[in-house]
Amino acid sequence: MLVLRTLLAGALHGYGIAKNIRSASNEALDIEFGSLYPALKRLEAKGWIASAWETSEHNRRAKFYKLTAAGRKRLVREHSKWADFVSAVGRIMGTLPEVKG
Amino acid sequence: MTIRNRIEYLWPARRRREEREMREELGSLIAIAGSRELGNLTLAMENVRATWGWTWLDSILADIRYSLRALGRQPAFAAVAVLSLALAIGANSAIFSFADALLLRPLPVKTPAALFDVGSTTPDNSLEGMSFPDYRDLRDKSRSFSGLAAYRITTLAAAASPAAPAQIRFAALVSDNFFAVAGVTPSAGRAFLPDEASAQPVAMVSYDFRQQNYAGGHSAIGSRLRLNGIVFTIVGVAPASFTGLDRFVRPSIFVPLGMAQRLDGEPADPLEDRGRHNLVVKGRLSAGVSQESAQAELAIIGAALEREYVKTNRNRHMAIRTELQRRILQTPQLLALVKMLMGLVALILIIACSNVANLLLARSRARSREIAIRLSIGAGRRRVVRQLMTESLIVAMAGGAAGLFVAYGGILLLQTLSVPSDPPNVLGVQLDWRVVRFSLLAALGSCLFFGLPPAWQTARTDFVSALKAGGEGTSGRGRTFGRDVLVAGQIALAMVVLIAAGMFLAGFRNMLAMPPEFRTDHLITLDTAPAVLHYSPEQTKAFYRRLVDRVRTMPGVAGVAMTEALPLSPAQTVVTVVPEGYQFPKGRETEVAFGAAVDAGYFSALNVEIKRGRAFTDHDRAQSRRVAIVNQQFAKTFWPDQDPIGKRIRLGSADGPAAEVVGVAKTGHYLAVNETPSPFVYVPYEQNPRSRMTLVVQSAGDAGALAKPLRDAVRSIDGNVPVFNLRTVATLYESRVTDTWLQFFQMVGTMGFIGLALATAGLYGLVAYTVSRRVKEFGIRVAVGASRRDVVWLVERRGLILSGVGIAIGGALTAAAEPILAAGFPGLGVSSPVVYVLVPLALLMVSAVASYVPARRAAGLDPLRALRNE
Repeated sequence: MLVLRTLLAGALHGYGIAKNIRSASNEALDIEFGSLYPALKRLEAKGWIASAWETSEHNRRAKFYKLTAAGRKRLVREHSKWADFVSAVGRIMGTLPEVKG
Repeated sequence: MTIRNRIEYLWPARRRREEREMREELGSLIAIAGSRELGNLTLAMENVRATWGWTWLDSILADIRYSLRALGRQPAFAAVAVLSLALAIGANSAIFSFADALLLRPLPVKTPAALFDVGSTTPDNSLEGMSFPDYRDLRDKSRSFSGLAAYRITTLAAAASPAAPAQIRFAALVSDNFFAVAGVTPSAGRAFLPDEASAQPVAMVSYDFRQQNYAGGHSAIGSRLRLNGIVFTIVGVAPASFTGLDRFVRPSIFVPLGMAQRLDGEPADPLEDRGRHNLVVKGRLSAGVSQESAQAELAIIGAALEREYVKTNRNRHMAIRTELQRRILQTPQLLALVKMLMGLVALILIIACSNVANLLLARSRARSREIAIRLSIGAGRRRVVRQLMTESLIVAMAGGAAGLFVAYGGILLLQTLSVPSDPPNVLGVQLDWRVVRFSLLAALGSCLFFGLPPAWQTARTDFVSALKAGGEGTSGRGRTFGRDVLVAGQIALAMVVLIAAGMFLAGFRNMLAMPPEFRTDHLITLDTAPAVLHYSPEQTKAFYRRLVDRVRTMPGVAGVAMTEALPLSPAQTVVTVVPEGYQFPKGRETEVAFGAAVDAGYFSALNVEIKRGRAFTDHDRAQSRRVAIVNQQFAKTFWPDQDPIGKRIRLGSADGPAAEVVGVAKTGHYLAVNETPSPFVYVPYEQNPRSRMTLVVQSAGDAGALAKPLRDAVRSIDGNVPVFNLRTVATLYESRVTDTWLQFFQMVGTMGFIGLALATAGLYGLVAYTVSRRVKEFGIRVAVGASRRDVVWLVERRGLILSGVGIAIGGALTAAAEPILAAGFPGLGVSSPVVYVLVPLALLMVSAVASYVPARRAAGLDPLRALRNE
């Protein structure tokens, strides 16, 4: 989902996605590219993202991934599910009452 | 991943393209970000490959590639292993196809397992058929069966066109629902209709018959077919796969049971005779009904019939059996033969497997370093076992495939086995899918047997010590113990097989030494069946009288005789007898003995010795006193220590006509040379006319030369009477006695030879292996002064001890297995002491030679070089 969300902004290559997630989360989520890559391939096989060779900002060839229509739909669904989940958890947790340590 | 994607990825080129793409992509990213930043890319790629979903296949393929390379490096090992297995699996498959033909093959019908045999039993005979009225009652009353069909095999004179001469063919008289119950759909035309059960001249023909007589097309349907002189219309053709419901008889023609009366020209309808228990009944059980509950229902129906029809059904019960149960009851001797042969070939397979296991063990020692390295760099033991098992499986499958060729050769040999008869009986030994499946199964089973233990042992290798020892491993005495056991076991099993072969040979020689007890030279015989032309009994008698008179005057004929059944011909006739004064065992009222109607010339033409009393003469006429001649065994069985001459025998039943015994003939062989002596009754033809007789002609010169004149003689009396089984008695005798048994002997002999060869190879391999491992030791021994002879003896001793142990075990095994072996060829004096002495001696000699070759090599070692080898 994170990958799909990241690609909503535009096409990126594999390493770019990893970097993007890291910076977007203020370095909190340090996903190594090595772990991200198989996930990318899985998403591609499911048809949610598509890839094509393009030239990067530094004039280097790289494979760029972008969201497909199916991926966009999926993201919408996942996102609303996620939002439900967050609000449910939020209701349970609420603001933390005074806890006596 | 979708199914479609997965299947796409099954295609190797697709995976290769993806792989290239992936490497390129990652390469480009390394250029952008540097490999350190990207993390473990090898693992990432491995994970991606896993998403393609075929890693297991990849790893198996890798195993196979690796195994093939490993085997390719040692072609000698691979060749010996595959050859051993091919011989053993081939022998097993050939014998399996033989057993299949004799006993095991299911009926060629739909879901054969649900089709059961329903018969009747009496205290005298547990395998009787059913009469049509009984069958009809059963069909009406029974709830256990979804269908019950009845049929009877007979021979008919068939002419495919009005002009063609009649030929004797097997035919099945069937109930209207026969094909429906069998679940067989005609390949052309239709099956019989319910209203055709009674007396409609319609026929179905077998596929083969159609091919022979109506070349191709649908033209057979609607054709006219003359059967026993009656014109039938062909309405259907059975499919090629349907060869009838009997093992050795394949009917060419199917006609409705209702035609039985007209075909046989009988005055009364045989279908209304409750006393004629000659129908075979097959029933398909309804869903959810067990054999036991069907049997319970049959018992009730049978008891009701017994109460209602005391005369015909007294002591008669109904029994349901599986096809296999019926076959075993019919031919228990075949079961014994099959057990013995299958047992022997199984031993051969074990010998071959031990051989391969031994080779693998030797090889695994040599490979321990390689395995140790693989283990030490982190291969799981399971993984190593899997790799080794892949190798074994490849060897086994190659052996199984090559074994099929061996089996094919064996099957060709077995196909020459035949029972001489006309129309021909069929022994369907063939290479079919059942045999192929059996071969693969045998290969798979042997793979587990020979592959798993060595693989396990190898994988348990303590890799630290294996690496230290530098690939040599330790050569302690205990290290070859497992292999010693294997080799001794091989020799023991080879001994069992060889002794079986020896016993067979001894029995075969005994049999050849047995006199036939009748003349076999200068005799030619032929069968005729005037009854198929609806001759009346008087016409038949006149026909035979004219035939005998005509043949007697032919040039080159020294004598003529007639008999109902020629000794040693496959079809023997029996008579039911009540010997005067004989105390029957409880529950029995009659006895069944071999018997035949013969004419006055029979005893002199066939040279059957009359021990006491007289032979039949021309004065034994229909009107004169009824007489009979019994053989010595009959007298001994029914009138022990009494004078048989003058005793009376009632024929057929206790109320039957009584015949007085006027002579005692020497006991001969009737069905087979190795049968136990059987009681036999001769009755004069004139007093007991039969519809079908065999003519026996004694020739002055070459008997075979009379064949054509004899055929012409029959034709000149009536051209429509079929002539069959025209052959010399010498030919019959050879095919019945010599050929079949010679083939059996060859079969068992070949097994013995294969067993011996495999065991010898195993022994040689082990001794040679030990020599190669003890090079250093021998070097030292020679260096400190051992003579060549000492070294040779050292090696020889080992081979001989192994073989001695094997022989001792083999002796014990043979003693245990002897009853099974003896059951396989009954009536032959099998425990020949010569065999028990010769086989161990031969084995010892072969072992000595097998160990001498490596022993010489050991003795020829140059001590300096041997030591430097270290």
